[in-house]
Amino acid sequence: MNIGKSLILLIVAAVLTYPLVPQSSDYIIHVMTLAMVYMILAMGLNIVPGFCGLLDLGYVGFYGIGAYTAGLLTIHYDMSFWVIVPLAALNGALWGALLGAPTLRLTGDYFAIVTFGFSELVVLFLTNEIWLTRGPLGLPGIQPITVNLTWLNEAWYFQFYDKTPNFYVVALLVGLVFFIMRRMEDSRLGRAWYAIREDPLAAASCGVNILNYKVIAFAISAAIGAVGGCFYARWSMFLSPDMFKFWESFLVLCMVVLGGLGNIKGALLGAVILVCLGEVLREVLTSLGLPPETRFMAYGLIMVLIMRFKPSGFFPAIASSGRSNPLLLDLQKRLAARNAPKDEARDAAA
Amino acid sequence: MTPLLEIDGISKRFGGLLALTDVSFNVIEGEILGLIGPNGAGKTTMFNCIAGVYKPTSGNLVFTRDEKSLRINGRKPEKMTELGIARTFQNIRLFSALTVLDNVRIARHCRTTSNFFRSVLRTRFQRAEEKEIVDASMRWLDFVGLGHHALADASSLSYGDQRRLEIARALATEPKLLLLDEPAAGMNPRETRMLVDLIHAILDAGVSVMLIEHDMKLVMKICKRLVVLDHGTLIAEGGPKEVRENPQVIEAYLGRGAAHA
Repeated sequence: MNIGKSLILLIVAAVLTYPLVPQSSDYIIHVMTLAMVYMILAMGLNIVPGFCGLLDLGYVGFYGIGAYTAGLLTIHYDMSFWVIVPLAALNGALWGALLGAPTLRLTGDYFAIVTFGFSELVVLFLTNEIWLTRGPLGLPGIQPITVNLTWLNEAWYFQFYDKTPNFYVVALLVGLVFFIMRRMEDSRLGRAWYAIREDPLAAASCGVNILNYKVIAFAISAAIGAVGGCFYARWSMFLSPDMFKFWESFLVLCMVVLGGLGNIKGALLGAVILVCLGEVLREVLTSLGLPPETRFMAYGLIMVLIMRFKPSGFFPAIASSGRSNPLLLDLQKRLAARNAPKDEARDAAA
Repeated sequence: MTPLLEIDGISKRFGGLLALTDVSFNVIEGEILGLIGPNGAGKTTMFNCIAGVYKPTSGNLVFTRDEKSLRINGRKPEKMTELGIARTFQNIRLFSALTVLDNVRIARHCRTTSNFFRSVLRTRFQRAEEKEIVDASMRWLDFVGLGHHALADASSLSYGDQRRLEIARALATEPKLLLLDEPAAGMNPRETRMLVDLIHAILDAGVSVMLIEHDMKLVMKICKRLVVLDHGTLIAEGGPKEVRENPQVIEAYLGRGAAHA
């Protein structure tokens, strides 16, 4: 195993054991948990602009749908988190498909505008449908995540008020989403998306039904966003419509662009960098006497610098997709074996 | 014998411009048919109608496969590919950020079925299918002579190799009819000779070929039958010799009066 890989594994292991250290600070755990929520969102958003090449400015809409689905199901029906996650994902996918099917015929900027409008619609709905969402008053009193194992042992009923267990729940979700993304990336589905991103006409003439695959991408992306929202609702235990403003979409998009469009690891890195930067700026800006909202100016500046100096992000593109696939490694070996005799012959001739 | 593709009175109008006017001809199974004509004659428009990019304004396209004749005008490009009509493009359209192998693997899309759930769960079926996709892709890459470049980026290939990769990609969809849009454009004489051999090999593999080409030497050499378009109308059809001597064809290429010169 090479050094880079071991180093990454070491960092991941260190981060995962941090909450178990007795001196660990609640604040750091909180920031890490938040970073992981954004990791889920960034991985989910990555599918649409990264894999399919469509600009999506309304991703936070699906995050909001997932969060309110989880919040309302918890308050009214007292459902378990583990049941709500798939339900929220399905609800997100449903709205993704409903929005995508009629609008994905639009291209480029027009599509971006429609998604932007959609996220504003979600916020307006959450603000005005007071009978359902309590509007601007917000949705307080959402129960935290519980694990009910009383069927194994009477005493095993856990309620995660504490930071640490929530940290592990979201780590589990990040792992799950990462796993799903890696498998999609290197499959018939992922390849169809890359084809659409690279050249839609050529993709169609290879037999890819462009509209269908765009809708699938949009629905899966929305489902992952809803899963992120679902955890957020049970973790923060309070929701209000202004948590799902356009700025959040912009922030997640920044993460994806910063890490490298279409690269899963890039999305993870982008999420960590921007969440940490947000925390640092909150301190720095207040000490300078500026309101914390000015941090969005810093994000804007970062985007400008990225576009100027590293236009394809830290990890450029998807070129690495499936390089670790055993089928391709096997093929590489066979090709090397096939080319070897030729090289020998050339050497002999020389 | 029923023709593989029957083109019956096809017209295509773009606003006020009539790009194709009542064009009829047949493509017979197992032949190389050349579609020639001066620039702007409507050759690529004809290809786009057959490949499903454009819907013909009027007329019929009838495709015969496995003894069944289907009226196919107005179907989407992906449906045409599924039926067995593949194409290459006049200006190369590869997925240039992807590897050579991935370009061909994408073309296996219409012959495979794994969906989201199978991909995520990596079922036995999906793994077998992925293996089959790689094997089939390598077969077609070896067929055009690009096997050893399989894991290189498509954009790193030479121009002639990119043209051949496009042909491999089209062949990987398992077509009955292959439409080649100016395959020899920009090729050097050596590459053109290799292309001639490749087209004959494609024919031997049971795929009929229809090609647009400006290199008259190449066309006259490999096509048994030619169709000549000018200003969107069919002006001549027949063997290379007949077509070459047809006064209307000479006029279309060289101008009025040239036929008598």
